[in-house]
Amino acid sequence: MQIQVKCSCGAENCPEWAIIELQGVVEVQPSFQDSLQNLRIGQLCRPSSQENYTFTVGYHELTGSKVALKKPMLVLKKIKCMGTDQSDEATSSSRVELDVVGIIRHKILFKNRPKALISGPQPVVKGKANAAAAATQKQSV
Amino acid sequence: MMEQPQPCCKGAQVMLNLQPTSSVSIQYHPLFGSHDDLILLELDEKLLPDVLYQRVTLRGQTDEDAVLCTKSKTYSVKFVGTSNSVLLVPPADYSTSCKNSRDCDGEDYEQQIGASVIKVAPGNMELVEVAPRLDKLKSILSENLYSSDEALEKADLDSMERSKRRLYTWDDLTNKVQASDDELRTGLQARSAVEIDGYWRIVDEKYMDLILRMLFHNSVLNDWSLDSLIEDKVVSVLESDGFPRKLAYHCLYVYGGRVEEAMDRGVWKMDARRVCVHFARGILREGKRKMESFMEEWMRMIPEEMQVSFDMLEGEVLTEKLGVETWVRVFSVSSLPSTPAERFSILFKERPKWEWKDLEPYIRDLNVPGLSSEALLLKYTRRTQPKVDAEPVFTAR
Repeated sequence: MQIQVKCSCGAENCPEWAIIELQGVVEVQPSFQDSLQNLRIGQLCRPSSQENYTFTVGYHELTGSKVALKKPMLVLKKIKCMGTDQSDEATSSSRVELDVVGIIRHKILFKNRPKALISGPQPVVKGKANAAAAATQKQSV
Repeated sequence: MMEQPQPCCKGAQVMLNLQPTSSVSIQYHPLFGSHDDLILLELDEKLLPDVLYQRVTLRGQTDEDAVLCTKSKTYSVKFVGTSNSVLLVPPADYSTSCKNSRDCDGEDYEQQIGASVIKVAPGNMELVEVAPRLDKLKSILSENLYSSDEALEKADLDSMERSKRRLYTWDDLTNKVQASDDELRTGLQARSAVEIDGYWRIVDEKYMDLILRMLFHNSVLNDWSLDSLIEDKVVSVLESDGFPRKLAYHCLYVYGGRVEEAMDRGVWKMDARRVCVHFARGILREGKRKMESFMEEWMRMIPEEMQVSFDMLEGEVLTEKLGVETWVRVFSVSSLPSTPAERFSILFKERPKWEWKDLEPYIRDLNVPGLSSEALLLKYTRRTQPKVDAEPVFTAR
């Protein structure tokens, strides 16, 4: 069996994706578990001209930085194509393809323990999604 | 102090280009989910062009670990998990179920007020260069050796025949064998395979023997030198003796090498080592033989003008002393597994102790990217030296 790796975006136009990486798990309040879509997670800030970032999730504040990945990462999408298979493999007629949909060269990495913000102004965010947002950040053991 | 987030720019770009003293809202994408069909693959920068220009494929059967093949190399694909939360942020216009642009311009799009996380990735795939997995090649091509019967009856290989006897085209092989195209081609050459009527075949040794002996017979009759055989002459004589043209060329190719092209004729020189290995295997096919008996018959079969010696058979035969007699039997490196762990296991089953000079021909061809032969020995054998001036001996670890 052979799976073609395609790049339908074209080699020159591969869109750039990004990663936010943190230790621990973003937890969602139980009432929102099944409808996470559009739910606000937090605010990502870049306080100065350096590549340092803060990420505020609920009442936790993480500090981290933007780093270049040592090795690039490609985002591949598995596509099942239905159709006649040319080979005489005795399998079903569906074929699998992989399509390159993006490339990742940087991530914003948070590897420090979060700081608990006991009091402080909640960042104001426009949009109706914010009202329902109740995401908190939980440090893993 | 912090600026309001910018609602007009969304997706990965806004995050990666965040300006000093700016902030952006991060939320779950409208289509957030497990998206098991989205896979992260980490790879060396130098492999990027091959992937982006669609020059790689994944090969393997459903019960095998997948390998990724460029034109000339093979990589095993391994999943590496992470305990961190890796939030994947696509570019602004990404939509997994976007069937037409109207969906993207619609409501969902506006709801993204910052950068959206489409998936939390459990880890990523990474590539490790490996030796091509060619062991299967010999076994599948040996299912239907090309024999003299087939050549003579000129079997018409239509679909009825094919369904009875499994034969493999180049495309069949790329679907079945986990190796890059270049490595597959080299593997076919190394196993003396030949393409006949679009199918890759290994020719039965008995049939090759017939052709080879006819070649030698004719060279004596016509007073040809085995160091400069004229291709056209050899092929036409063998053809008139009833052998397919393709097989005549194949015989020259397997047992000889091209010397030069004079005008447009090929000139070939027979290879003493390959010839004498062939005859040794023929003699020992039925089982082991006493050394004297073997040598006598072997020397008789080899053309007079060829210089041969017993050590040309290294890596092909083993000798053992039973009582006062020395016996010879077939033990060919080409029949052994190509993966180091299995190779050493079989070698030590065959013989618990090996001296370096005997062992070397049986591991010389082992290819593990990143491991030298010393490292292989260290990993799979134990080296002992019974006496300071004695030969080192290798045993299983």
